[in-house]
Amino acid sequence: MRWFARRLGFYVFAIWVALTINFLLPRLMPGDPVSGLLAHLTPAQIQANPGIVHEFETLLGGTHNSIWHDYVTYLGRIAHFDFGLSTSNYPTPVSEVVGRTLPYSMFLVGVAFILAFVLGTAIGMVAAWRRGRAVDNVVVPVFMALSALPAFFTALLGLYFLGLKAHWFPIQHAYDSGVTPGFNWTFLSSAFRHSQLPILVIIAAFTGGWVLNMRTVMINTIGEDYVLMAQAKGLPDRRVMTRYAARNAILPPLNGFAPLFASAIGGLVFIEFVFSYPGAGLTLQQAVLGNDYPLAQALLVVLSICVILANLLMDILNLVLDPRLRSA
Amino acid sequence: MSQFDPTIDLPLAAPPARVRGRVRVPGWLLLIWRNRKSRVGMVMVASMVMFALIAPLISVAHPNEFNLLAARQAPSWHHLFGTTDQGSDIFSQVAFGARRSLLLGFAAALLATGLAATLGVTAAYSGGFADDVINFFINVFLVIPAIPLLVVISGFMKERGTWTMVIVLAAVLWAFEARILRGQALSLKNRDFVLAAKSSGESTRRIVFAELMPNMISRIAAGFVLVFYIALLVDAGLEFLGLGDMTGTSWGITLYWAQVNSTVLQGEWWPFFFPGAALAFTVLGLVLMLAGIDEISNPRLRTEREST
Repeated sequence: MRWFARRLGFYVFAIWVALTINFLLPRLMPGDPVSGLLAHLTPAQIQANPGIVHEFETLLGGTHNSIWHDYVTYLGRIAHFDFGLSTSNYPTPVSEVVGRTLPYSMFLVGVAFILAFVLGTAIGMVAAWRRGRAVDNVVVPVFMALSALPAFFTALLGLYFLGLKAHWFPIQHAYDSGVTPGFNWTFLSSAFRHSQLPILVIIAAFTGGWVLNMRTVMINTIGEDYVLMAQAKGLPDRRVMTRYAARNAILPPLNGFAPLFASAIGGLVFIEFVFSYPGAGLTLQQAVLGNDYPLAQALLVVLSICVILANLLMDILNLVLDPRLRSA
Repeated sequence: MSQFDPTIDLPLAAPPARVRGRVRVPGWLLLIWRNRKSRVGMVMVASMVMFALIAPLISVAHPNEFNLLAARQAPSWHHLFGTTDQGSDIFSQVAFGARRSLLLGFAAALLATGLAATLGVTAAYSGGFADDVINFFINVFLVIPAIPLLVVISGFMKERGTWTMVIVLAAVLWAFEARILRGQALSLKNRDFVLAAKSSGESTRRIVFAELMPNMISRIAAGFVLVFYIALLVDAGLEFLGLGDMTGTSWGITLYWAQVNSTVLQGEWWPFFFPGAALAFTVLGLVLMLAGIDEISNPRLRTEREST
């Protein structure tokens, strides 16, 4: 368990570094982000909320206090998840905008990533087991090529061919216009149909990574004596492949989960932009273009925390799957 | 303009040259050339470099010029890749865009490789506290998602010229490479030749740069190619999101205007297809080069592939 405690400690540190980067960025960059921010509000809006200038200054710099004082105030506010008001959605608090958009993204990336993992490891397993056969020679190169394509290019191709030309999927937004978000069948079915094409694009972009990882490790485990032993015992081929070779090959690819997930979060920004899908990625892009720095900062923190939580989840899964770590 | 050509300036200069006929071909180049994958990749990248070099000869002088009379034309002999909503010639934009993309990717990769090799190898060799600190930062950069971080950084920057982007990209992307190189250096640091150098009183700097690095040149080259194509992708992606130098010409900017003007939704495929395909072609070439270098430096991978 000491190993797990060390990982936890690292994640706390990593969140702290992410927050500090967020604090330092607007202060290191040339220019005055606060006035850029205020330019998006009317004088009447600023007058109606006299504390807002000071509020932005504690987030972005420009107060007359020392930087240490600002830093402590900043960390205190973030601890209460108080990122101030979003100027592009004025006067909605940033936390509310984040809470509204994040579920869409997490649904997309969560579902797509689990599917990509299952599909990718299965293909990698079969490709290694029957090397040089159909799956290895056709399916593997197809997914490798797909994962080498830029994610937004895959998204645009999917949008044009599968959405616009073939009419298989709706191509824009997260649900039909006229549907109000809520827990009812109309909304959920509409949202599900709209999520299909983005999910397909993420699967196309990220399955290749799992295929390659799994195939490489699996090729090594196939050469192990216990696999030969299992075959010599006359166990069914499928059982040897899944329970003996693949079971022992699964751990190293799992450790590739963290960097893949971080890059999937990045790819999400592009994919949501292509499909006008109102998740955290599109909101981040619009916040940055619209100089809505509090919203952009909050999204960066939240997305970093998502990646860290995914890492944590994988660590726990590792603990379950790898007895050596439990005893360490 | 050899700086456009990654195959010439690959930081692989150390291995001995070999005389073949009358032309001296460096040994490492021959090695990379013999591998089928990296040969195909090199040809792909080299042809894109040629395309970028001859851009002024084959395109109109001002690729961003508006011409509303020629707007939204499908590809034809007159406009090989069609025209944009504003009537600019997309072929010219792709040709000139290749210059910025290749130059930027190359420069960012060079800077990130220098940073990653220096920090990663020094950390691995010194061990102790320095290693802990550098390794910690490498891991932190790996859990903070790079694209959102770069999006936010570009948002705060109001000036986004080529060289600014090179520095920003290198500063964020070095960690990927540093992790690989640190791992490699860890496995080398207890070899006899390093211990011999150490016991004969060589300085840390000399051991890192003159003993360790030349022996991991294939890893460094692979890391360089890796960061090269990640930088290409990320830079085009940021421009695609509208976070580039919007006065310039590049693949990402053409893609941005295609997206913002909803050309795809109107059934125009050419404004996004050609710049996207140029990017995909270059990246695929680099990925193949990387796969080739991996096979060369890891003979086990190579024989496995050949036996199938």
